[in-house]
Amino acid sequence: MSATSELRGLRGRGATAKKENKAAFWFLLPWFLGLLAVTLGPMAASLALSFTDYNLLQNAEFTGLDNFTRMWGDQRLHSSLGVTFTYVFVSVPLQLAMALGLALLLDRGLRGLALYRSAFYLPSLLGASVAIAILWRTVFGTDGLFNQGLGLIGIEGRGWISEPETALGTLITLNVWTFGSPMVIFLAGLRQIPRMYYEAANVDGASKWRQFRSVTLPLLTPIIFFNLVLQIIHAFQSFTQAYIVSGGTGGPADSTLFYTLYLYQRGFGNFDMGYASAMAWLLLLIIGAFTAVNFWASKYWVFYND
Amino acid sequence: MTDTLAQTTDTAAPGTSGPRLRSRPRGGNRPVRSILKHALLILCALVMLYPVLWMIVSSLRPEDVIFRDPSLILRDLEAGNYAEGWNAFANPFSHFLINSGIVVLGAIIGNLIACSMAAYAFARLEFSGKRLWFAIMLLTIMLPIHVIIVPQYVLFSQFGWVNTFLPLIVPKFLATDAFFVFLMVQFIRGIPIELDEAARIDGAGHPRIYFQVILPLMVPALATTAIFTFIWTWNDFFSQLIYLTDPDLYTVPLALRAFVDAQAGTNWGAALAMSVLSLLPIFLAFLFGQKFLLRGIATTGGK
Amino acid sequence: MERRLIFRGLGASAVALPGLAACGTGGGADVELSDEDVTLRMTWWGSDLRHGLTQEAIEAFQKEHPNITVKTEFKDWTGYWDALATTTAANDSPDVIQMDEQYLASYGERGTLLDLADAEEYLDTSKIDESLMDSGKVGGTQYAVPIGAGVLTLVANADLFAQYGVELPDDSAWTWEDYAALAAELTEKSGGAISGSGVTGGFDHGSVRYWARQNGSDLFTEGGDVALDPALLVEQWEFFLGLMESGAVESAAAMVESINGGVDSGNIATGKVAMGNAYNTMISALRNASGADLRLLRPPLKEGGDEGLYFKPSMYWSISSQSEHPAEAALLIDFLVNSEAAADILKTERGIPANTAIRERVSADLEEGDQLALDYMNSIEPGPVSPVTPNGGSNVDPMIQRYAQEVYFGEREPAEAAEAFVAELQGEIDAAK
Repeated sequence: MSATSELRGLRGRGATAKKENKAAFWFLLPWFLGLLAVTLGPMAASLALSFTDYNLLQNAEFTGLDNFTRMWGDQRLHSSLGVTFTYVFVSVPLQLAMALGLALLLDRGLRGLALYRSAFYLPSLLGASVAIAILWRTVFGTDGLFNQGLGLIGIEGRGWISEPETALGTLITLNVWTFGSPMVIFLAGLRQIPRMYYEAANVDGASKWRQFRSVTLPLLTPIIFFNLVLQIIHAFQSFTQAYIVSGGTGGPADSTLFYTLYLYQRGFGNFDMGYASAMAWLLLLIIGAFTAVNFWASKYWVFYND
Repeated sequence: MTDTLAQTTDTAAPGTSGPRLRSRPRGGNRPVRSILKHALLILCALVMLYPVLWMIVSSLRPEDVIFRDPSLILRDLEAGNYAEGWNAFANPFSHFLINSGIVVLGAIIGNLIACSMAAYAFARLEFSGKRLWFAIMLLTIMLPIHVIIVPQYVLFSQFGWVNTFLPLIVPKFLATDAFFVFLMVQFIRGIPIELDEAARIDGAGHPRIYFQVILPLMVPALATTAIFTFIWTWNDFFSQLIYLTDPDLYTVPLALRAFVDAQAGTNWGAALAMSVLSLLPIFLAFLFGQKFLLRGIATTGGK
Repeated sequence: MERRLIFRGLGASAVALPGLAACGTGGGADVELSDEDVTLRMTWWGSDLRHGLTQEAIEAFQKEHPNITVKTEFKDWTGYWDALATTTAANDSPDVIQMDEQYLASYGERGTLLDLADAEEYLDTSKIDESLMDSGKVGGTQYAVPIGAGVLTLVANADLFAQYGVELPDDSAWTWEDYAALAAELTEKSGGAISGSGVTGGFDHGSVRYWARQNGSDLFTEGGDVALDPALLVEQWEFFLGLMESGAVESAAAMVESINGGVDSGNIATGKVAMGNAYNTMISALRNASGADLRLLRPPLKEGGDEGLYFKPSMYWSISSQSEHPAEAALLIDFLVNSEAAADILKTERGIPANTAIRERVSADLEEGDQLALDYMNSIEPGPVSPVTPNGGSNVDPMIQRYAQEVYFGEREPAEAAEAFVAELQGEIDAAK
């Protein structure tokens, strides 16, 4: 199997390919306009504010690198980084594995697939609904379903959400539970694999596993790559679920204090938007680094058709 | 058109991917495996759905039972929650559903047009600084909204757009949801380039290739985009909270939050009832939308 | 480091927009009534019940003042503060703002609220309880009119007391020792089915204030610094740690669950504890949620200690200094806090009214829960009002909650945590100065 370079597509089909600047400009025009009119200004403003003391209600005061030096000594920032990294490294692989596994199961060849797909996707629809908070307490509270289930097999439960050791675990579970989005993207990706490859494989009498290894997986790598990049970005920015389940505190005892939750607390809770902006740009650096590594590594395993 | 495409795919494919496959006898016990599969899936689905089912059942329960009964058995039916929730505000709840619908519709159309155009450029065109632009595009989704929202609010209030749906819709027409651009780029790059080249030999320019080759073949990606835009916009709370201040413009997430008061007590029965109700449109959207996920190259090339 | 002003507002930084948040007291228009049609924006947080009642009161106001149109914006608690900060930053804040004690100084001292002395012609505050009125002042300036008031209380579930054969205590003179013994007795007689009491102190500013005031101290000084002696916090934490260990009060995990559950599904509402702390104004909601016979008890006293209880304003009305129609805004507030027409609609939904005349009027016809709340309030002799939360201290509640959780879960030593809490709080206040 010849893994084509990820960079080939973005770099161009050889130096001789003639530029299509004019066409590209028209296709990208909406995006350029959006960049200039909507995106770039606020981004630049937040970068500028990261060098200031800005409390939202009064004028920003330039303070140089103060915000950035303050981060070194900020214990809560460090612990929130720890929480976030744990979350990213545990929940992203779990969620993707779950999503891919079910997408394969639900792709074709079974009765009632549409129903199954909808059923597995339903939890993801809840999104940021206020119902999530009470839902999760009902499942993982002291009197919750999970403990009742454990009771049936003779294990004594605990307050999963309310104890610092396990609270993050319940949020990871919540994230894995809502694996519907990557699953749908995988399903769409599976649909895009030309049938004739499987037909050819069938003619050759290849086993299901062999077909998966030699056809499905390689042709799905662009989508796996996409899901990986995006889920990592999302996981680093994860906010809503922790915010809703912990009532915005990141508790108990900061055990679910995600980085963006802390950033939000600083910015809006403490009127410390300058510092929050600095935190945001640190996060951008972290996510950017992860994404860059991801893109670099992709040339060794992602396969494109172009 | 479809015929030529399919043929092109046929001739092109083996050379590019070149899967070499060994023969192996097939497994014989198919019915057993199928039953096992179903059993497993149903079990998983139950675990997955229990919390959602609980929510639905609870929305039919009297207030004081909701937090004490994690089971799914409904003892006293309290359908009044729905009437109460529907009429809790000056506007009936349908008003918020319609508002959300308007925002969602605008966002979907915007994302489909603008993101697919940008994605075509990134996936199929050669232009100066392509990698840099792509990196910039990804960077724009790496900053948390909480530091963007204040400057953005300033911007939109200068435009006079605060308290309208414009700040929620117009950016979508400007491809600010880079997530979907990236998604479509990945899908387009999964479409064999030979199809474009065949069309080009037929004398098609980029607009025609985009409309007649790429768009029809990326229906799954478009469907994914539409479904996700629907769900995320439907559930988006923060930007709607900031930009929509007039209760007449409130959308579903804002109305749902307006039930909640940690100090004076929340009408959870009504809140849950309306939460269930607001799930319905997105559930239906997914149910019907998913058939479009099944289209695309798999069907066009599979003859 | 030499600080200099670089931005005339945030906008100038990058997108070259006109300045914002460049406000000071009186930065808005003159405080005079307009002859023309005026549109006011008014915002509050709360539940759907409050939205409905307030809307009704506003309609009554508009009937009296046909040239004034009031546009309302209601939000939930957290969304409310996010939106208020954002709109204020963009110089676009609503005219009439529902304010909270914890945010009053943060907004007032930064010049975003109108000095109500400028609007006294249109806003009569003579009937408002004087000590409550003082709690609307920051640095001597009246930024807010208190709407209602509440008092800390200990809620007892009389049904559970009866079920386990325990007498309700005489709360006129009971001490923390009596409370501890009672809680232990309840846990024991229930055979562990319930906890005698929830954790009733050390995790929120109300209970910490109460403990400090009983010891002649307070949480904040008049000058806006932290007054709390860490030793007092240590004492309070250790008292409850002891009770947790003995099982007299609920576990730390149960406490967290209860806080997250709020009024509707906290420990009192679900009947997992026989006693818990609350504000008297929450009693109706608690009775509804629990379906039990809940009583309001005076919280335990410290032997030989000071009076800890005081009337805490439940919320205020303020006027934005960015308002273009401060006079009309003042009229609206005047109507809401002083008029009988509004009182007949709003009743006690925002707490027991701070206006004494109105309080009398609404007390004639109260529902049972509200009557309990009012009776309780009338039964106590409050101490002086606590100094308001200073600028920079608006996050005191989540902060104390975080430290309390670390201590109650045994992750941190009380003495060290108390020092760290006071230092962090003072640090936030200093940073905002």
